[in-house]
Amino acid sequence: MLDSIILSYATFVYFAAFMLYLLAMVMNRDLLARLGTAASLIGLLAQSVAIILRWVMSYQMGIGHAPFSNLYESLVFFAWTLMFLYMIVEWRTKNRTFGTFVTPLAFLAMAYASFSPHISSHIQPLIPALKSNWLISHVITCFFGYAAFGVSFGLSIMYLVKRLDAPEKKNLFLRLIPGQGILDDLNYQMIVIGFLMLTLGIITGSVWAHSAWGSYWSWDPKETWSLITWLIYAAVIHSRMVRGWKGKKIAILSMAGFFCVLFTYFGVNYLAGLHSYAK
Amino acid sequence: MLHMKHDPSTKRPHSFWAFFASVRLAIVLLIILAIASILGTVIPQQQGAAEFASRLSPGMLRLFVALDLFDMYHSVWFRVLLGLLSLNLIVCSLKRWPTAWKRFTARPGPDRQKPFEDVPREQSVHTPEEPQKAAERIGRLLQSRYRKIREKEADGNRFFYAEKGAFSHFGVYGVHVSVLLILVGGLVGSFFGFEAYVNILEGEQTDTVYLRKGMRPLKLDFEVRCDRFAVDFYENGTPKEYRSDLSFLENGREVQKVAVLVNHPVQFRGVTFYQSSYGTAPGKLVDLRIAGPDTQEMAMKVESGRPVQLPGGEGVFSVVDARPDIMNMGPAVMISVKPANQDETVDFWVFKNQEALGRIPGPMRQSPKFNPAVFQPYAFFLDGMETRYYTGLQVNKDPGVHIVWVGCFLMVAGLFFTFFTSHRRIWVRVLGTDTGSRIEAAGMTSKNPVGLERDLDRLMEDIRKKTLTS
Repeated sequence: MLDSIILSYATFVYFAAFMLYLLAMVMNRDLLARLGTAASLIGLLAQSVAIILRWVMSYQMGIGHAPFSNLYESLVFFAWTLMFLYMIVEWRTKNRTFGTFVTPLAFLAMAYASFSPHISSHIQPLIPALKSNWLISHVITCFFGYAAFGVSFGLSIMYLVKRLDAPEKKNLFLRLIPGQGILDDLNYQMIVIGFLMLTLGIITGSVWAHSAWGSYWSWDPKETWSLITWLIYAAVIHSRMVRGWKGKKIAILSMAGFFCVLFTYFGVNYLAGLHSYAK
Repeated sequence: MLHMKHDPSTKRPHSFWAFFASVRLAIVLLIILAIASILGTVIPQQQGAAEFASRLSPGMLRLFVALDLFDMYHSVWFRVLLGLLSLNLIVCSLKRWPTAWKRFTARPGPDRQKPFEDVPREQSVHTPEEPQKAAERIGRLLQSRYRKIREKEADGNRFFYAEKGAFSHFGVYGVHVSVLLILVGGLVGSFFGFEAYVNILEGEQTDTVYLRKGMRPLKLDFEVRCDRFAVDFYENGTPKEYRSDLSFLENGREVQKVAVLVNHPVQFRGVTFYQSSYGTAPGKLVDLRIAGPDTQEMAMKVESGRPVQLPGGEGVFSVVDARPDIMNMGPAVMISVKPANQDETVDFWVFKNQEALGRIPGPMRQSPKFNPAVFQPYAFFLDGMETRYYTGLQVNKDPGVHIVWVGCFLMVAGLFFTFFTSHRRIWVRVLGTDTGSRIEAAGMTSKNPVGLERDLDRLMEDIRKKTLTS
């Protein structure tokens, strides 16, 4: 279908963006970085068109629903929110080095969605449990949260990489990475946005669960892991208040948080397979 | 102020207080809770635990049961952890509240000197106007931007103090109180509510539901009847929608008739019913065909369980079991024939789709149990069976849920105020000079210094603009 074709092209466009940002840093060429931005924008636009097209097509097929209902659609939306958020960060900070560390995540998500044999790109009808207005708000808030934490992950890596930089070193790549202070500040901002979005995501999920099954919290793996993620990031936010926890410890804790995000998103599917919980 | 110093005026140097008033403890507790929660996702909980438990050694099993690891989220130690976090929250909040309140109610004088100690040149403007006139203008400008404005006059000079966002100090208390509310709501729900389920066949009614915990029955004050169950399918066979038409009866009298669908629950006398699942159960009637030696094939509708005379009179048979699907081989019934001259019965399965038997491995297939013609000279055929739907309902009562929703709302509001608003305070002084007046502005903020700078820049811009035009 046209939407999945556009999305598979977008995958390559994001890869191109990643390469351009990377080369721009290695060769210190601003033109390459600008091309990277252009590629990112093209990819984002293409994705937006594809997502809307998919939404419209589902209605034409008589099984209309928002395109957030299965793994394929969620991976595509994750890449979209990641790039959307990143574009805003790039615009506000006027700095293109972050692109090198964020675009690979978007590319990987799209590649997995478009080329994995286990994931179907067909538009499927919604089962009764998913037929709810809460689907849209729950998915959107959760994924904006994941995206913010994804950008924070990229920033944390940059922070740790930057620590390898020293005045006497002549490594251009390291030199181009913004200062630790800026990275730490931006990381915190992303974590705050992510935390607020994740809180809204968990709440909308609970309200939905309550209206569907009468139980707003049943400690099932997905719910529990989203809470674990929330607790880790809550610890990060409080860490800023404790002296001696700045910088490195926070970067590492944010990375642990993102691993929790990944586990909440993908890992729980393996858990449920190994240990079946009667629900 | 994100870096809070230890308040030296604490009157209670008691170690209990100090221990629970620390943010470090909060971080440690949050991480411990996270790790403990991970444990509960790798160790099967509740119903799924049986298989895992059977693979443990007796010693390990005893340890697991003692620590309540198969239901750890409701265990004593997990609740103790939550209790410690709550205590930590309460003590931290009590300790820091007086400072926050002071900041909220503070009324600094409009003529304070300190904020102006490092005023950059850009925040100072010269105007030929008299201080009086300039002050009027500035007063109006400040009114349009800030909430609380106070003025003071001294020696012909005018001083202004303006502020907004003072309530931002309370955001963090909103968040912490909301956590407590959610925990309390959860506790109220688990002590005073219940979670149960019930399956009701179409046309039948019941007043008993089964609790999820331990599958114990619970009697309700009323009866629920499933008048009708309907399921719609998509072209690819997956369910599209299912709904049950329910009637609620009290003392035998129908009080309410309502339909329940997935995501659209119904409530009656404080108990909420959710459309959760459905299933099929065999009805009472089975369509059989019997072929005998001299008689033609006879088709008969037989009621499950009732003995029926064989066409030749050699005895009676009855349908003792009917299943809509056995091991994916389709519908089958078990016939039990009792010959007139014998005490023992001959039992065998008859499948609607006899070819399906090809899936049973060889030796088993030869068993008389699967031979529909084992009772000579008759052969039985199954043409169909009546199926009835039953509706699977989740039945819950949760008196604490509204407390939880209030907590959730408060948390979102609290987070918004904590991170996206700041307490901004501006001082403007209009000092008389020989050539008119000098206007200066300075400010202080609880967070977001960049925002404050922008505000001050904008203020000076507007003051400058009006100066040029007047």
